[in-house]
Amino acid sequence: MTLPRRLEQSSASILQKIKECLDQLNEKMEVMIELSKHGQRASSQDGLPDVLDVMTLLSLPDHLRKTAVTLCKLEQATADEVADQTKRARAVESGYLNQLVLMGYVKKERRGRKAYFFVERESGEKEVTKAWARS
Amino acid sequence: MGKIITVHSYKGGTGKTLLSINLAALYANKGKSVCLLDLDFRAPSLQAIFKVRDVEYWVNDYLNGVCEIKKVLKDLSQTHTKRGHFLVGLANPSTEAIREMTAKDRKWEMKALGRLLSLKTSLINDMQLDYVIFDTSPGLQYSSINAIVSSDIALVVSGTDISDIKGTQRMIEELYELFEKKTGLIMNKVLAEVLSSKSERADLTKQLMNSYNLPLIEMIPCFCDILKEGGTKVFATENPEHPFIKTLDQVATSIENL
Repeated sequence: MTLPRRLEQSSASILQKIKECLDQLNEKMEVMIELSKHGQRASSQDGLPDVLDVMTLLSLPDHLRKTAVTLCKLEQATADEVADQTKRARAVESGYLNQLVLMGYVKKERRGRKAYFFVERESGEKEVTKAWARS
Repeated sequence: MGKIITVHSYKGGTGKTLLSINLAALYANKGKSVCLLDLDFRAPSLQAIFKVRDVEYWVNDYLNGVCEIKKVLKDLSQTHTKRGHFLVGLANPSTEAIREMTAKDRKWEMKALGRLLSLKTSLINDMQLDYVIFDTSPGLQYSSINAIVSSDIALVVSGTDISDIKGTQRMIEELYELFEKKTGLIMNKVLAEVLSSKSERADLTKQLMNSYNLPLIEMIPCFCDILKEGGTKVFATENPEHPFIKTLDQVATSIENL
């Protein structure tokens, strides 16, 4: 392989890594923005588990409820997939999903470059594995 | 694409079960594939009406994660329809099962929501059913709200009693609107005199329009002969020419336009 070709490949890989880091940074920023808008972690402090049941869905603010109900229907999804259903921007859904993660209602798992969100119904691992097997 | 329809009400005794059964049988008699599920775990009714023997699995078992939905369904096509498919899933009517279902915690209710939501895949996509009808408990019960969230369309049944109208109004504002569900209102057991008088009918319609921010699907009169049968007869199958079934036929058409 020629030197210019090797340099080209190496810079492409560095750029890819930078992009991934920027994506992660962007997601963290979105969470911080959401938290500053809607207050700090609302995770229950009364000893009860953070369960995304219908009564919890009812108590969520409208914008988060739409995201949470959509995720319940999809079982596991990326912010893009949720945005497809809600017809809102991906960045908006990403912010809402991350806020639901911080509230303890939704779990997040990174697979390669994609972040998957899901509602933990069974013993966590099993449900994710099942969801991945189907996808 | 098939539809999941929840039949719900604020108060008990509004006629949810009668409407659910006959709507399901009506669809089946039109040649559709229909599944009726009893989600009223506090007062299960379908077992007493359909008298199904040798029930191995109940809807309770499906929600408990004990079995898949196919194991719960009983095929009543032979006895209850001349054309389509008519499947039912029964709620366990034993006192022990009712007690157990009323003592479930939030975590269980969350799992139950997941299992109800997945019926869209198993019953509509895989089994290719045209209609799935959920008959629910009245009021703001976990099982009923789970059913509403899991369905495509909700039918709210109300009587003309003021406590029913006010309660239903509040329930629509504080529950249905929050879930942005396609919803239609059915007024049931309306006095025949009210419906036959043009001015009284118009007054009632106006009052309902002012109370509810919902499309009024139908006003069904109170039929003494139906009450007399005491739930022993499925009119849509045994007496399809009955005016009640003719009215339900209009309900079925309106559902498509919601």
